[in-house]
Amino acid sequence: MLKINNITATVNDGQQTILNGLSLEVPAGEVHAIMGPNGSGKSTLSYVLTGKDGYDVTGGAAEYMGQDLLEMLPEARAAAGMFLSFQYPLEIPGVPTMHFLRTALNAQRKARGEEPMSAPDFLKKARKIASDLKVKPDMLKRPLNVGFSGGEKKRMEIFQMMMLEPKFLIMDETDSGLDVDALRIVADGVNALRSPDRGMLIITHYQRLLDYIVPDRVHVLSAGKIVASGGADFAKQLEKEGYDKYAA
Amino acid sequence: MSLVEDTASALPHRRMEAWKWTDVRASLGGEQSGLTSACEPQLTVPVGVSVTRETKSPGGGTMGKLAANFSGDIYMVTVPAGFASREHVNISGLKSGHARIVFKLGKGAKLHVVETHNSNKPGFVNMETSFDLAEGAQLTRTILQNDHADTTRISTTRISAWGGAKITQHILAFGAGLTRFETRIAALGKDFECEIHGAYLLDGKRHCDMTSYIDLGAENAHVRQSVKGGVTDKARGVFQGKFHVRRPAQLTDAEMRHDAVMLSDTAHIRAKPELEIYADDVACAHGNTVGALDETALFYMRSRGIPLREARALLTQAFVAEAFDGMDDNRSFMSKITAWLEQNA
Repeated sequence: MLKINNITATVNDGQQTILNGLSLEVPAGEVHAIMGPNGSGKSTLSYVLTGKDGYDVTGGAAEYMGQDLLEMLPEARAAAGMFLSFQYPLEIPGVPTMHFLRTALNAQRKARGEEPMSAPDFLKKARKIASDLKVKPDMLKRPLNVGFSGGEKKRMEIFQMMMLEPKFLIMDETDSGLDVDALRIVADGVNALRSPDRGMLIITHYQRLLDYIVPDRVHVLSAGKIVASGGADFAKQLEKEGYDKYAA
Repeated sequence: MSLVEDTASALPHRRMEAWKWTDVRASLGGEQSGLTSACEPQLTVPVGVSVTRETKSPGGGTMGKLAANFSGDIYMVTVPAGFASREHVNISGLKSGHARIVFKLGKGAKLHVVETHNSNKPGFVNMETSFDLAEGAQLTRTILQNDHADTTRISTTRISAWGGAKITQHILAFGAGLTRFETRIAALGKDFECEIHGAYLLDGKRHCDMTSYIDLGAENAHVRQSVKGGVTDKARGVFQGKFHVRRPAQLTDAEMRHDAVMLSDTAHIRAKPELEIYADDVACAHGNTVGALDETALFYMRSRGIPLREARALLTQAFVAEAFDGMDDNRSFMSKITAWLEQNA
């Protein structure tokens, strides 16, 4: 589903190389976890995959569902089903959450040549998901993420994810800032989206989240490339041993 | 020297401090119709409000003197004490020439004045409006301006407000060759309340200047001012705001904000927020920001599938709309803003 082949990426106008020959393949239906120390390139990987400006891919290739991912605009990647749950979700003053999401959902549908979702259908869906995620209806009327706590913002990312029903999920440290109850709610939401035609990439420092969202494969990212991989139990081993032996 | 040349030479220019960013003289490319003629406004008023015409009287300021010279009669609008109506006063049709309108609101009168300025060909318009608000009078002004790109429009408003008077003003301007909305308020009685907000959205080579001078002379005034701007192409936005808090104006609570967003790096914004305070027990603040749209917010929106143009429009709309949050009905303004952003975001 996602094939990354020997990618190198730089920031600061080429001054700093962050990804350094990273290769990774996530087949449909699988959940892969990326673990690694601070500064290893985890967030850069998420931004390169979603097309943020300022991250220049200087070598290698990435293919997503048969398309050249790196040639696509961020909005085209979203319409093709790619979703990033941000480590630090942005506040969008003045734009009510529901309006933002409906605009996003219908922009994606338009890009895919589908009819827009009607207001009643959209509301019905939003109410159901909000109730599952214990998101207060009041939050949906407020400007997106403005005045929300860290945990509320993360929950709102999952709310958006469930509304948009992406095909490929990237979760960038979604567990940071969440208490145990919120973590369980978020994990339940993510697990509900697991399906044979959906891929997921979970970026995390800690093994904790992987107790709730059990991955098929675990990779260690160090100095911009994958240096070790294993099954679900590998995360527990990493938690015990630390990343030192993988350090560049 | 012809009358037109003579008049043009009397226009405000950039060496005058109050006009340094809005050079009327230099903006007059070729002859513009209206420079030396009167303009008949289309004026409709609710039942109970009377309109009479009076002969000339001297005007103040450079543009006021020109208006006094050329406008012919003054339109006098008299609003009796205690007046209230759901009908508005509508002013439109000011497409070229000089005009003067004077409103007198009696004690406790409530009046809503709606101005629409939309010239469809180049013209020179100089409008002088004054309001005298007796005690407890409430004035609401709603102004929408969208002129021909080569029009010059100077609109100067002078308001005297006695005790307990209230002013609510909202201006949405899309600029023109040169546009200036100048609002000068003198609060002469205590417990004055004022909400004075506006936004300008400018493209091409349009110019819009929002200037205000609020002179507070009595205690317990409450003033809120927020002006938003959005400029693209080679457009120029100007904000000049001043609160003058005189010694008797104790317990004044006044806030001024001007915030503008640059939608292209070839546009210009000039801003001069000023406070001059002589009373010692007051809360006064001013703030001014000019910047580009937040790139990280734009990426966040795009990562959710919203195309760049739409994301820019949505962010700008949210930013500008704040100026009109307090309007009873801002739908008309919102649809105009949306339409502009569809073309220019």
